[in-house]
Amino acid sequence: MTPNPRSLLCELTYRCNLQCPYCYNPLDLGNPRDDLDVDTWLRVLDEAAQLGILQIGFSGGEPTLRRADLLRMVERSTAHGAYTNLITQGTFLDARYLDELLAAGLAHVQISIQAPERESAFAIAGTDVHERKLEALRLVATRDVALTLNCVLHRLNHDALPEVIAFAEREGIRKLELANVQFYGWAYKNRGALIPTREQVERSATIVTAARDRLRGKMEIVYVLPDYFEEFPKPCMHGWAQVALTVTPDGRILPCPAAAAIATLAFPTVRDGSLADAWRDSAAFQAYRGTDWMPDPCRSCDRRERDFGGCRCQAFLLAGDAGATDPACSKSPHHDLVVALRGGGPVPEALPVPRRFTAATPAQHEASSIPSA
Amino acid sequence: MSYRLARGVRLQTSADGEPVLLIPEGIVSLNVSAAATLELLDGTRDADAIAQLLAERFEAPPSELGSDVRTLLDDFVERGFVTT
Repeated sequence: MTPNPRSLLCELTYRCNLQCPYCYNPLDLGNPRDDLDVDTWLRVLDEAAQLGILQIGFSGGEPTLRRADLLRMVERSTAHGAYTNLITQGTFLDARYLDELLAAGLAHVQISIQAPERESAFAIAGTDVHERKLEALRLVATRDVALTLNCVLHRLNHDALPEVIAFAEREGIRKLELANVQFYGWAYKNRGALIPTREQVERSATIVTAARDRLRGKMEIVYVLPDYFEEFPKPCMHGWAQVALTVTPDGRILPCPAAAAIATLAFPTVRDGSLADAWRDSAAFQAYRGTDWMPDPCRSCDRRERDFGGCRCQAFLLAGDAGATDPACSKSPHHDLVVALRGGGPVPEALPVPRRFTAATPAQHEASSIPSA
Repeated sequence: MSYRLARGVRLQTSADGEPVLLIPEGIVSLNVSAAATLELLDGTRDADAIAQLLAERFEAPPSELGSDVRTLLDDFVERGFVTT
């Protein structure tokens, strides 16, 4: 029997006032006019509760751009007894709104920074908001809510890792998440410019180990290992359609936030059926669930129930087949594609392309509905 | 030394009646004795007081429970779920 999912990620909108080139959102950000209305989202949250989901994440794009809607969604989730996480870049978090979210039951805020200081952060995000983020960070730290500081690491900021840790220390951060860039969506498009060098990866391991020892009991450091540099793939999502699902701004139901890239699968939507229908019965969710779908080398590998064949999205993006062994695995017949990208590999683009909506959905969408903070 | 749940950590019962600890972006399954211990954290009780209450509830000698309670709390403090 299929276990019930335990967590749901709600992507409220792909609108964002930042243009980070490492964003995992899809290249086609769609049209914000198709974003689900709040009543549909509330129904989705009711369905999540019926499935016994206890963890709800609110992300995007920038979820706080749907200010009033997000508040109602946090309220509804809390009423269902779920734990709520806001994943934000923080630029719209003022004291009044934060306190409204907390009164609605918000349990955890994750704020991201692009770099430890303004100039580099501006260069990466394409928007000058570092100081604004710092204000939000300091504001959240004064409230009774869990706070995580997140920084995505890539070639352009890897060398500033010690300064990122020092920044977190200075700000009294209790939990720091250092996430090496994962190559989906915009990050995949920009992988040539973003993949860290071998030297950066090796140096960062030493820095993180030393910082963890030094800060034990004061700051927890979560370090997400760099993709493409390990011997075995990450146990992506603890297996396809095993514990979590994602709903995109336009209502597609996915087994992971990057899965929309898999063009060979048709994903169910919340407009056509319930989360339970999608989870239990849809062909897309069943496609790579468990171990029956596995080809060799996964099928006969003793790690098959530890890393679940790695990531289906990565297999599709790199090998062109979502049912192949993750090329990040050293046993994959496509592993040379990953090796070629490491460190001194080819650099297709010197500068990364900033995340943006396509010409079909004019740029004004990105700014049109941004509330004045 | 008294104990309480850390910021953003919540004790909850899942839909199948299993006690769980909800933490930022995560769920930790608890056994019955861990859940019973965490229920008693109120920011004023120390390990001895918690062991005493558990002993009454489970009709066991507090001396035996004391070290179990300390081991569990030390572990949860180390993992950031509980603060002193």
